[in-house]
Amino acid sequence: MRKSYVNNNIKVNEFDALIKITVEMSKYLYPYIREILKSKEDIKENSIIWNDFNKRFIELIKERFNVDSMRVKKLLNQAENGEIIIKSLLILSFCISNQGYQKLKNFLYDF
Amino acid sequence: MQNKLSFHQSSVSLEIIGLPDYSNNENKDQISIISQWKLTIVDKPLIEGKIEHLGPIMNAFYIYSNLLIKNEIPIYESKLIDIKADNLHIHNIVLKSSKANIKPLVLKIGNSLLSDTINCFDQLNESPKVRIKKTDITTNIPKKLRFGLNRKVKFFNFLISPFIAICSLILFSSSFIYFYSPIENIEKKELINTELKSN
Repeated sequence: MRKSYVNNNIKVNEFDALIKITVEMSKYLYPYIREILKSKEDIKENSIIWNDFNKRFIELIKERFNVDSMRVKKLLNQAENGEIIIKSLLILSFCISNQGYQKLKNFLYDF
Repeated sequence: MQNKLSFHQSSVSLEIIGLPDYSNNENKDQISIISQWKLTIVDKPLIEGKIEHLGPIMNAFYIYSNLLIKNEIPIYESKLIDIKADNLHIHNIVLKSSKANIKPLVLKIGNSLLSDTINCFDQLNESPKVRIKKTDITTNIPKKLRFGLNRKVKFFNFLISPFIAICSLILFSSSFIYFYSPIENIEKKELINTELKSN
């Protein structure tokens, strides 16, 4: 999915390290994640945060992902990407405890 | 004097009231015998109950959150609590009282409050000062899924005996190949035929 011509498989220790970084980042960013989720709950009253987030998300996807891929196209479609984004944010928000690393790992293996 | 411990996460706070188990030589600030708990969600009615209600309610939230993420139908139903999704953002919680003539308490919470509640429960689970008996580990599997698993196990048990029977028949009958040699038989027939012709 990424804009890369090198097709390296990720190693187990690199995968673990990425999970640890993600958990630590989500702990730090929890208030923001929460606000984005809240903004989507009452989109009529408070749409600014969600719209800003979605706009930046699409910008980053276009910048770093292979836009020709069908899966990436799905991420870029504003009508379809809501569910994927909400579920990803929910996973991150559930994994901010001390056992968040194990939780996130379990979520990813079950996905 | 009872001990009180509070766990906070944004708009949700969980209060645990109880005593240490002195027979286990525990510290004064420890809680092992929980007498009461209170779950406060901003702008929602207070949820409180006894220790026997806390475990099932925590389990319900954990199972529901797992179902929500795993693209399955997010419904949890039990005698004590029902959680259903109105849509991807709003969750409907029905808390049923164990006492008669008391109407169930209905709450609607969003994803932000759901994640706050889960995080409060995580804090409680990880707290070294509170000890909760983890009696129902198997309840981590929702009822519908458990029935599905049972059905799979039953189906597997149903198939395993004929499968072993067929395998053993194949193995047993394949040993007969050593007693029967088709080439020798053809040679014998040819010999008999030549003897008959010569006569």
